[in-house]
Amino acid sequence: MFGNRNDVPLDRDASSRFLPWLIAMMVYLATMSLVIALTMNKLANRWDQGLSSSLTIQVPSEPSVEKRSTLEQQLKTFIVKIESLDNVSQVELLNDTELNKLMEPWLGKDILLHDLPIPYLISIELDSSSAQTIDEIKLLLSQDIPSASVDDHQRWLGNLLGLTKIIQIIALLVVVLVGGAAALMVILVTRMGLAIHRQVVELFHHMGAHDSYIASRFQFHALKLSIVGGLSGLLLAGITVASFSSLLGQANSAILPTLTFTAGEWGLLLLMPLSASLIAMMTARLTVLRSLALMP
Amino acid sequence: MDFKLLVRFQDVHLRYGSGPDVLHQVNLTLAPGSFHFMVGPSGAGKSSLLRLMYLAHRPSSGRLSIFGRDVSQQDRKELTMLRRRIGIIFQDFRLLDHLTALENVALPLTITGQSLDKVRRNVSELLSWVGLADYLDAKPPTLSGGQQQRVAIARAVIARPSLLLADEPTGNLDDKIAERLLFLFEELNKRGTTIVVASHNEGLVNRFNHPVFKIVNGEVRLIRSEQSSPAAPTAGSV
Repeated sequence: MFGNRNDVPLDRDASSRFLPWLIAMMVYLATMSLVIALTMNKLANRWDQGLSSSLTIQVPSEPSVEKRSTLEQQLKTFIVKIESLDNVSQVELLNDTELNKLMEPWLGKDILLHDLPIPYLISIELDSSSAQTIDEIKLLLSQDIPSASVDDHQRWLGNLLGLTKIIQIIALLVVVLVGGAAALMVILVTRMGLAIHRQVVELFHHMGAHDSYIASRFQFHALKLSIVGGLSGLLLAGITVASFSSLLGQANSAILPTLTFTAGEWGLLLLMPLSASLIAMMTARLTVLRSLALMP
Repeated sequence: MDFKLLVRFQDVHLRYGSGPDVLHQVNLTLAPGSFHFMVGPSGAGKSSLLRLMYLAHRPSSGRLSIFGRDVSQQDRKELTMLRRRIGIIFQDFRLLDHLTALENVALPLTITGQSLDKVRRNVSELLSWVGLADYLDAKPPTLSGGQQQRVAIARAVIARPSLLLADEPTGNLDDKIAERLLFLFEELNKRGTTIVVASHNEGLVNRFNHPVFKIVNGEVRLIRSEQSSPAAPTAGSV
């Protein structure tokens, strides 16, 4: 069906030497951008899950011992009420040791907490993030301890999630731009090939070759080169990701992301060289067809 | 439309871009099975006239019919099918250096989707007919000019074209070999192929009994018809 695929000697062109390298770089950039986008997505989900299902209640301290004792009684009652709510997994009034630990970075060790108006802190963990449960807690709090305030981390979590979203969008934009740049490169290389082999192309045209026959020579050439380049780029990206993953593992930090992917995400990453090859093939085909359309 | 005519030019003009007329008011007809020479000095427009015939260009004005089809009315796909019925021998042969003689000759068949294996036998036979049986796997740069020319001829006729166009096929040959080449064209003509040979060598052309068109400054005139031609030369073979 395809005749002799080597009848246009494209393998000898200079473009055959540099196109795989360019495609490899493009696929490397696109894959790394996708890795960043996926990692940011995971990180955002982790933060979202970790913080949106927890809240902290802050109750201002009372100066007198008497009032403090009453307040502590109110806190106990409040905690019992909260514990009875659905979707609440844990309620904990932070003790002096825990408060000391929290204040240590700012006030140093050996703080006499009762000499300072340090507020009471209640940490609440929910089974799952639920606006309804949070509203119920807020309502109970306003009834029992009106002076208390609730921090459900939404403000700074929102900022953080917004930032990760922006990074994700930029990373995906890079993937799209890299795809566009790869297409432009293939157009350039194909036009170069058409110029170099103008006589052969004209000969085929005069002998009665269909446009699609001539285009197939260029499209399969581009496909072959881009597969080589694409797989090389993916391999390089794999090595980079493995190195980073090892470094992040050594850091052992809860806030840093982990570079582990699901089967679906691996599939998405493997799509990069495949997409690059398809883009290269289709771009080469369309470029040749457009050029041939100018001939009678 | 006269379907008995293979090629018909009616007031055809050709210009490239916005330049002057390269061909001016051309009126000529070619009957099926005819053999015509086209003579004229270099740059007179012989190649342009052939390019119109092998559909590399459409006329700038006027009407050109090939195989009974008005070229300007045909879409690109239809022109492609018409081109498959035309064999061309270029002055510079245009063989592909990276392919063997056999692959070069097979090109008009392989571009239509036929596999080289299927057409190998036919191509080998044709190469034997032009005296290149021992050079099937030779690449053009290793062949002499005459051998390359025979490969080009074999390529032009492998698909059994109805119309064979040769642009200065004798240009680089001495008179004896050139004459033998023209005898080969006569052989093809006897098998029913319509032949047009462009040449600037009027002396050589005059040795053959075929009508002659002369092109001067883009104008085409029939300067000799078959009946008024000199005695036919002795037949020979390449």
